[in-house]
Amino acid sequence: MTNPVDGPLNGVRILDLTHVWAGPLAVRMLADLGAEVVRVEAPTSRGPRVFPSAPIGGWLSGSVSDEPWNDSALFVKLARNRRSLALDLKTDQGRAVFLRLVTQADVLVENFSARAMPSLGLDSATLQRANPQLIYLCMPGYGASGPLKDRVAFGPTVEVMCGFTNMMGYGPDEPRNTAMALMDPVAAANSTAAVLTALRQRQQQGNGMRVEMSLHEGGVSYNGPWLIDHQLGQAPTCMGNRHPQMAPHGVYRCVGEDEWLALACADDRQWQDLCRLLPGLDASLDLRARQQQQDDIDLQISAWTSQRSKHAAAELLQQHGVPAGAVNNVPDMVDDPQVQAREFFVRYERYDRPMPGNPIHMPGLDSSQWSPCPRLGEHNAEVLGDWLGLSDAEIAGLQADGVIVDKPPA
Amino acid sequence: MVDKVLELGGYAAGYAGRLYAHAGADVVRVEYGVTPPAWASPVAMDSFLHAGKRRVATSDPTLIQQLAAAADVVICEASGADAVHALGFQEWSTPVKAALTPFGLTGPKRNWHATPNTLLAMGGYTVLMGDAEREPLSLPGHYLEFQTGALAYTACNAAQLAGQSTDIDIGMLETLMSLSQFTTVRWHCAGELRTRHGSDFWFVVPSELFRCTDGWAYINIVPQFWDAFTVFLDRPELLVDGRFTNNGLRMQHRTALHEIVAEVLATFSVAQVHERAASCRVPVGVVQSFADVLDDPHLAERDFWQAVEAAPGAPEMSGVKLPSLPFRLGDKKSTRLHLNGVKPLTEPTLWGRLWGR
Repeated sequence: MTNPVDGPLNGVRILDLTHVWAGPLAVRMLADLGAEVVRVEAPTSRGPRVFPSAPIGGWLSGSVSDEPWNDSALFVKLARNRRSLALDLKTDQGRAVFLRLVTQADVLVENFSARAMPSLGLDSATLQRANPQLIYLCMPGYGASGPLKDRVAFGPTVEVMCGFTNMMGYGPDEPRNTAMALMDPVAAANSTAAVLTALRQRQQQGNGMRVEMSLHEGGVSYNGPWLIDHQLGQAPTCMGNRHPQMAPHGVYRCVGEDEWLALACADDRQWQDLCRLLPGLDASLDLRARQQQQDDIDLQISAWTSQRSKHAAAELLQQHGVPAGAVNNVPDMVDDPQVQAREFFVRYERYDRPMPGNPIHMPGLDSSQWSPCPRLGEHNAEVLGDWLGLSDAEIAGLQADGVIVDKPPA
Repeated sequence: MVDKVLELGGYAAGYAGRLYAHAGADVVRVEYGVTPPAWASPVAMDSFLHAGKRRVATSDPTLIQQLAAAADVVICEASGADAVHALGFQEWSTPVKAALTPFGLTGPKRNWHATPNTLLAMGGYTVLMGDAEREPLSLPGHYLEFQTGALAYTACNAAQLAGQSTDIDIGMLETLMSLSQFTTVRWHCAGELRTRHGSDFWFVVPSELFRCTDGWAYINIVPQFWDAFTVFLDRPELLVDGRFTNNGLRMQHRTALHEIVAEVLATFSVAQVHERAASCRVPVGVVQSFADVLDDPHLAERDFWQAVEAAPGAPEMSGVKLPSLPFRLGDKKSTRLHLNGVKPLTEPTLWGRLWGR
């Protein structure tokens, strides 16, 4: 049996119906804090038995295996510290089993479209009837009400709907999408906050509740300061790599192909520190003057950085008190002495693959307890026995009827 | 019982405190030292982050320690590990204490100087944003700080839920790396470095920003939406075009497909894109200006906006719409929050005004 890791959320039972990125990431953070998570998966949730091409994050083993549905590196990365129950919710039996699981759960998390759960007969009212103490977190892209509620949403398309593209790019006429689907991690981080808010409210008041986290509203909320300034007549505008209250502030070319350094001076003192290193700069300039002369300043900084490696330049700038950091790719990050010293990447997964760790450090949390992503349906019998007390015969019956599976349909 | 939360520091602590304030906690924010540079005006940052809190100013460590002793939670953001310790963090007797720093409280770079753009660079984000042949782009705004604040709030509440007394250490660099997409596993498992391609998501085609007659639209057609997308474009012949029958082929013929999409989108207005995206159910979004967002009927119908009552020093906030929290609990409506001014904190006023014993 896979136990939850030690942590403050020990004793909190979560049913995880999430997919893609935002939902699984939120649940991973809760599992890292000690929640007991059962991932309830559709038989096809991890894809078919035969994949037409390699998944976006590659195969966990480096090449396609006999069980490709269990080896998508991106999926695996998000699914540690939980058990897998592969249950077909489209069957009456599957739904009935699921509603019994709901009675045993503290939290249910899903990030389907707004109409998916109702179409399964598992709308909020049904779930709350099954368990009035349940905290039901849904994460529809545009929320479960309003004119856009049925719009198909993914991180990159939601990003442009939030106003963020006004600020992202090389200038007002050259907007760019981050192409990183950042609304997903925004929703994930705020979902964990939402679940904890609800759990504490339930602890104090005894009530379960439905919690809604819309990707769209997450993005709009993060743009809040700009939206306020817009109403105050201080229209913010895209500045490329520059900053409205820091100068210099940019990304500068270094020795090597596509090698860069990020640098910023947050105040006059840091500017003066930079001037000690680059004597051609005028240490007497205040922020306003530096902003006016930023083109010239950037040229001088670039002339200096272009003679150095990004890591050497960063070290030297740091020694002089100037915020600077190499523009890192993955090997750079993994090799960073800071990242290594704090053992951020953890090798608990199959094939000894390093996986990103937990940014929350507190006594009692121990990544050596982490369990790898389970195989599809790996814990069918265990979960149904532990949570519902089903007998071996009952479990075998569900398996024979195809209600629970351990591989995708042929 | 209402949580007493003491907040010190910049925008990460401010966001964690915001979450606490909206949850009904009694949040006291101590202004000390210099406010870090922001992407918006001081009144915008204050209104967004600090409405619903009480705000005092002091740099007296003894007064801060006394406040910390009376608090249930301290959220302390500082420029580095030494700066946290200089405040007396380790001596505070608060049950739950969170230190938010650029690199965490340990490690050789625990006191490195940082700004969000240097952390975004070190955390592997900047290298992925912007055009392939141009300088990479950093991320504007306060994503880094708000994400760190959300995690701090989660961690503190988890400890409170369990009744644990604990110290929490959150490094912003690790926050970024933990929230990354598939970049690290793609390298570790497939041996491939992800690179930047402008607005093109690259691995799903088409995924790109296209011009319309009166704006821009982002198209993100993951494979299951390809059929519907051909209807969206009113180009059903693409369904049987051998160059585009699966995502792998669409990646091979990216340029040709992008030219077709660009040609069609150039004839659509933003309103048409909206209408067709809804009727064809495809993942397409249009670039919204800030004015568009503020006037968005969807957000209005969802009662998303919040009002703030401003302190006498900020009368311009009257009638200004504030975004509410990203999440909503049950049927709870957003409350009207008051934006307090900053008052000096002195010994005689300490217990009278704040958390009196």
